[in-house]
Amino acid sequence: MTALAHAAVDPGADPAAPAPRATKRSWTAYVLLLPGALWLGVFFLLPLVQLASVSLQSRYPGFPGYYYRDVNLDNYASALTDYAPHFARSFLYAGLATLLAFVVAYPLAYAMAFKAGRWRNLMMICVIAPFFTSFILRTFAWSQILADEGWVAGTLNFLHLLPGGNIINTPVAVIAGLTYNFLPFMVLPIYASLERADPRVIEAGGDLYANGFTTFRTVTLPMSMPGVLAGTLLTFIPAAGDFVNMELLGPQRGKMVGNVINDQFLAIPGGYPVAAALSFTLMAAILVMVFLYVRRFGTEELV
Amino acid sequence: MAGFREASGDLQLESVTKTFGDFTAVDDIDLHVPRGSFFALLGPSGCGKTTTLRMIAGLEQPTAGRVLIGDTDLTGSRPYERPVNTVFQSYALFPHLNIRDNVAFGPKRRKAADTAKRTDDALELVQMSGFATRKPSQLSGGQQQRVALARALVNHPEVLLLDEPLGALDLKLRREMQVELKRIQTEVGLTFIHVTHDQEEAMTMADTVAVMNRGHIEQLGAPAALYDLPRTRFVANFLGQANTGVGIIKDTDGDHIVADVLGTPVKILKSRSQVHDGEVLFGVRPEKVTVSRTQPEGAGNDVKGVVRDVSFLGVATSYLVDMPSGTTWSCYEQNLDVEPLDLRPGDEVWLTWNAGHAFGVPA
Repeated sequence: MTALAHAAVDPGADPAAPAPRATKRSWTAYVLLLPGALWLGVFFLLPLVQLASVSLQSRYPGFPGYYYRDVNLDNYASALTDYAPHFARSFLYAGLATLLAFVVAYPLAYAMAFKAGRWRNLMMICVIAPFFTSFILRTFAWSQILADEGWVAGTLNFLHLLPGGNIINTPVAVIAGLTYNFLPFMVLPIYASLERADPRVIEAGGDLYANGFTTFRTVTLPMSMPGVLAGTLLTFIPAAGDFVNMELLGPQRGKMVGNVINDQFLAIPGGYPVAAALSFTLMAAILVMVFLYVRRFGTEELV
Repeated sequence: MAGFREASGDLQLESVTKTFGDFTAVDDIDLHVPRGSFFALLGPSGCGKTTTLRMIAGLEQPTAGRVLIGDTDLTGSRPYERPVNTVFQSYALFPHLNIRDNVAFGPKRRKAADTAKRTDDALELVQMSGFATRKPSQLSGGQQQRVALARALVNHPEVLLLDEPLGALDLKLRREMQVELKRIQTEVGLTFIHVTHDQEEAMTMADTVAVMNRGHIEQLGAPAALYDLPRTRFVANFLGQANTGVGIIKDTDGDHIVADVLGTPVKILKSRSQVHDGEVLFGVRPEKVTVSRTQPEGAGNDVKGVVRDVSFLGVATSYLVDMPSGTTWSCYEQNLDVEPLDLRPGDEVWLTWNAGHAFGVPA
C-alpha cells in the first residue's frame, strides 16, 4: 500500500521500479492466510492465553469455584509433585502404545505398499473404515471385547495365561485401546513414505550385495523414516493426552494425566487453575520430548 | 558373503525365456558375450531388452533356460549372489546416503578391506571426487549418472549392466557421457551390457549390437555390419534410415538377382539378399544414393522421381523424392561441388546407386 501511494504521489519515481507489483503479490498471500489466521487466533491463541492466565490464578478461600487474578506458581508445583505419577503413566502408556502400533503398523504398511497388488485399496479401506464410527463407540466395543465374560479373557483364563484373572480395568487394556485407536495414524504415514519409494532403489540394494534383511535395514527402513517419524508423533502426542481409553478400559486407581485434567476441570470444584497448569505442563513436556526426538531422528533431507 | 558366487568369463544365455502370465517378454534367446566387450541390446520399448538385462542381474528369474558366466551357472541365484552390478534407469541412488556412502555401499556389504580406497578410486574415475559429501538430491542428472556408474564399478563386477543409462540426459550431455562411458569401459576392461532404444547410442559405443524385437534377437553383429547388411525388415528400418520397396524376384543375372519393384528392375547381390525367390523387400541406405538431373551412363539401378522436399543441412543437402512406386525415398547431396544441383520441389531427378550397396530382406 505504501509503495502504491508513494508511486502515485511521486511521478518522478523510476517507472521501472517493480515495487507496486511486489506489494500486490505479498498482499495476496496475507489475504489468503487471513481465514486460517483468524480461526487460529480466535479458537487457539485466545483460549491458550486464557488458559495460561487461569493456570496462575488463586481461588478465594471459602468460595469454591471463584478465582482472582494472581501469579500463583503453586498450581504448577502441585501439577509437578502431586501428579508426577500420572505424567509418568501417561508417557509410559503412550510410549508403549506407540511402540506396539509401530510393530503392528510397519509390516502392514509394508505389505500394502509392496505385496498387496490388487488388494491394496481394500486393505486401505480396512485401515480407514473404523473412522466411520465414533472414537467413543469403538473404545466401548473394546471394553466388551476385553471384558471378563468376553472370549479373550475367557480363553486366556482357560489356558491359565492370565495371572490377574482379568484384562479389563488394567493398564494392559488401556495400552491395547490406545494402540488400536491410534493405529491408522501410524499406518498411513508409513505407507505413504514406503509407497513413494522408488522400487529400483530397493532393487539396487540387492544388486549391491545386500540380502533381503540387510536391504531392509540399510535401504528400505531409512527411506521410510520420515513416515515413521510422522506416525510416531501422530500416535504419541494424542495418546499422551488421551483420557477416554483410561476412563473406559482402565483401572479405578492409577489414572493418566488426561483423566486428572478432565476431573479437575469438570468434577472437582475449584480445580480450574490446577487443571490449566497440568495442561500447560503436559504441553511443554510433549514439546520438549518431540523436539529432542525430531533432533535425534529427523531427516529433513528426505522430506 | 554367504552365497556369493565367484565367476569369471564370457556371459552366456542359453535358450532363455521369460513369460509374465500370457505375455512372453523374452522368447528363447541365446546370447554369447565375450568377456571385456561392450555389448548393446537395442530395441523399441517392450521388446524384452530390459527383461533380459534383469534376468542377467538376477532381478527376474527366467521361466526357462540358463544364465552363465564362464562355467558358473547363475540361474536361480539372487542378485546379491552374482558378480554383476547394474546402473539403473533413473540411477536409483540411495536418497538417504551421501555420495561416498552410496558408492561404498557394495564394498561394505562384501566387507572389502580397502573400501575407502576403492571408493576414492571409483569417484576419481568418474570425476566426482569433489562431491563425496553431497546428497544425491543436490546433484544434477549428469552427476547422478556418474555416481550411479561409480557405485556399480567400485565392485569390479564381472559384468556391468546399464539400463538406458543416458535416457534422462539432454542431447549434449548424452554425447559427452557416450564418450565417457566408452573411455571407462576401455580403462576397466569389464563386460558392459548396455540396454537402449537409441540406435545411435548403441552404434557409437558398442562392439556388438543385438537388435531385439518382440522377445527375439532379430540380428546380432558389429554396428557397421548391421547397418550395411540388415537381415530383416525390422532391422533395416530400426537401425538408421532405409529406402525400401517391395518387389518380386523375376530373374538372376550372374551374381545378382533381379527384382521387379512396381515396374522398375533392381539388382541385388545374391550374397546380400536373404530371399532368392518370391517377394523381397529391396533396400538401399540414403547416403548410398546419388542424385542427378539427367539419367546417368550405364543402365540399371536408376529410377526417375520427383523432388518433394529439400532441406539444407550444411555438410549436405537432404532430398525427399517421390518414387513411381508410391514410396518416398531419402537421399543426400554432399555439398562439395562449386555448382550444386540446386533442385527445387517438383523437379524431376534420377536416383542411382551401386548394386553392391543394395540389400534384400523378407518382405
